[in-house]
Amino acid sequence: MEQKTNGVILKLNNIEVMYHEVILVLKGVSIEVPQGGIVALLGANGAGKSTTLKSISGLLKHEDGEVTDGSIEFMGEKIHHLSAEEISKRGIFQIIEGRRVFGHLTVEENLRVGAHLRGTGSATKERLEMVYHYFPRLVERRNIMAGFISGGEQQMTVIGRAMMARPKLMLLDEPSMGLAPLLIKEIFEIIKKLNQEEKIPLLLVEQNVKLALTVAPYAYVLETGRLVMHDTSEKLKENPDIRDFYLGLSDIGEKKSFRHVKHYKRRKRWLT
Amino acid sequence: MEIFLQLLITGILVGSIYALVALGWTLIYKCSGVLNLAMGELTLIGAYVCLTFYHWGIPFVLALFFTLVIGFILGILTEIIFLRPMVGEPHLAVIMVTVGLAFFFKGLVMLIWGTDTVVFSPPVFPIQPVFLGKVVVGQVFLWAFVASIILLVAFVSFFKFTKWGLSMQATADDEMAALSLGVNAKVVYALAWAIAFMAAGVGGTLLGNINGLNISVGYLGLLVLPAVVLGGLNSIPGAIVGGLVIGILQNLADGYLSRFTPGGVKEVFPFAVMVIVLLFKPYGLWGWVRIERV
Ligand SMILES: Nc1ncnc2c1ncn2[C@@H]1O[C@H](COP(=O)(O)OP(=O)(O)OP(=O)(O)O)[C@@H](O)[C@H]1O
Ligand SMILES: [Mg+2]
Repeated sequence: MEQKTNGVILKLNNIEVMYHEVILVLKGVSIEVPQGGIVALLGANGAGKSTTLKSISGLLKHEDGEVTDGSIEFMGEKIHHLSAEEISKRGIFQIIEGRRVFGHLTVEENLRVGAHLRGTGSATKERLEMVYHYFPRLVERRNIMAGFISGGEQQMTVIGRAMMARPKLMLLDEPSMGLAPLLIKEIFEIIKKLNQEEKIPLLLVEQNVKLALTVAPYAYVLETGRLVMHDTSEKLKENPDIRDFYLGLSDIGEKKSFRHVKHYKRRKRWLT
Repeated sequence: MEIFLQLLITGILVGSIYALVALGWTLIYKCSGVLNLAMGELTLIGAYVCLTFYHWGIPFVLALFFTLVIGFILGILTEIIFLRPMVGEPHLAVIMVTVGLAFFFKGLVMLIWGTDTVVFSPPVFPIQPVFLGKVVVGQVFLWAFVASIILLVAFVSFFKFTKWGLSMQATADDEMAALSLGVNAKVVYALAWAIAFMAAGVGGTLLGNINGLNISVGYLGLLVLPAVVLGGLNSIPGAIVGGLVIGILQNLADGYLSRFTPGGVKEVFPFAVMVIVLLFKPYGLWGWVRIERV
């Protein structure tokens, strides 16, 4: 089975996604994630990035969404018709956007819930040690209710929580959202380390394009439900459109005013 | 002062039963968002089941254990048959389903067991009262308290230390996040109903031992509503404290106020407290301000 997939662990073939049987949100999206790799999925607000992740993890079905066309293959198996639980059993875990900790549980209890599908006992203890090794900040927070820790620590908790599940593929939705730059840097370094040392493939959704392109060697760009571009990050960084709309740099390399970019985006959206 | 102590202690002992039933109610609300108006009838069914076993000659403790088992099964069946089809429907529709359930269960009880008051005979607990200092309490109250506390501790340990217990709490906190970790929400809802049915069954049995058993035990079960409103609907410690407080208030009202009225103070007082709490502290003493997500 492994050979057949040619080192590609996840493959989206031209998927179409609808909410409530009427709202068409994704229109023919194809994405590949290589074994052990990091792939970024970029795009403006409402482009359909989260929807893409939810269709992979199966959470879509809980928001009355459905993959109406195309297919999603994980390790050679078609998974888009499976329930969220079945998909997690196969090793795919989505870290949903917005640092969704279980606020009334302690940090360590949050982590334990992450091991829900992996039983309890000594294996869980080992996993806990591993998470604390990557997120040493959480050690002193372990007995505090997760609702009361800082935003950065909450982001670490939700990433650590998914780590508890021994993921074979992690889907990360905007881990940088609403965090201070220094913290973002810290978290992204850990994410990179997790990928390199634990060999966990990542599909990373980000609005922070610059950062995403430094972490992920390959990226896809989504615009109102369609893929408009995909290439290596090196090439994308040189692409004038990307520089202009997403990196906020003009060809001379100077920073454009934020307002200008926004304005352009808005105009562009009317056109599509 | 002695009268006060007497009323207070009896109140705590009875209140522990309410606390048990309130925990069950809160669990359903926390985990699945269902406001269950059939809790009184759940207590009723459990009580009759236990009584039936007992009258078959099964020792009381064993009968109580079987009641727990039956409660577990009935809880899961109730969830699958009546509540699961309603997932995602408007809150009001789901509440109406629980009202329907209440009538259904009550009808079932009348059909099977009739409407006459029955008592556990021979009495399960010795009639002689015991003295706690200067306070006199019936042994039935004392044992009801012990049984309630044992069950409360068991349930709370389940939530704290077991995998499914933690996952139930997680689902209550953020269902989507729990789903993303592979927690099956259907199992969580079913477990919540199972535990609620178990708690209600034991609560009903204990109340039946105190007062005898007829349809009105179902109204006592309804006292969980003021208890959980006081505790804040979705807090387990809140439900426990709420149950105790309602037990105490009910007894104090009965002891001090019923002389001045033709009757009914005992029944009405907890609900009066509920209204006052709703006016001044709509989220109860420990409730979370629930953030509605769709
Ligand atoms: N549950 C839903 N029901 C109906 N429409 C939805 C639902 N969820 C998302 N949408 C719509 O689908 C489109 C894509 O949303 P999605 O959340 O995938 O975007 P996104 O790229 O993740 O945006 P953001 O950067 O703001 O998170 C939006 O137009 C949104 O309104
Ligand atoms: Mg999103």
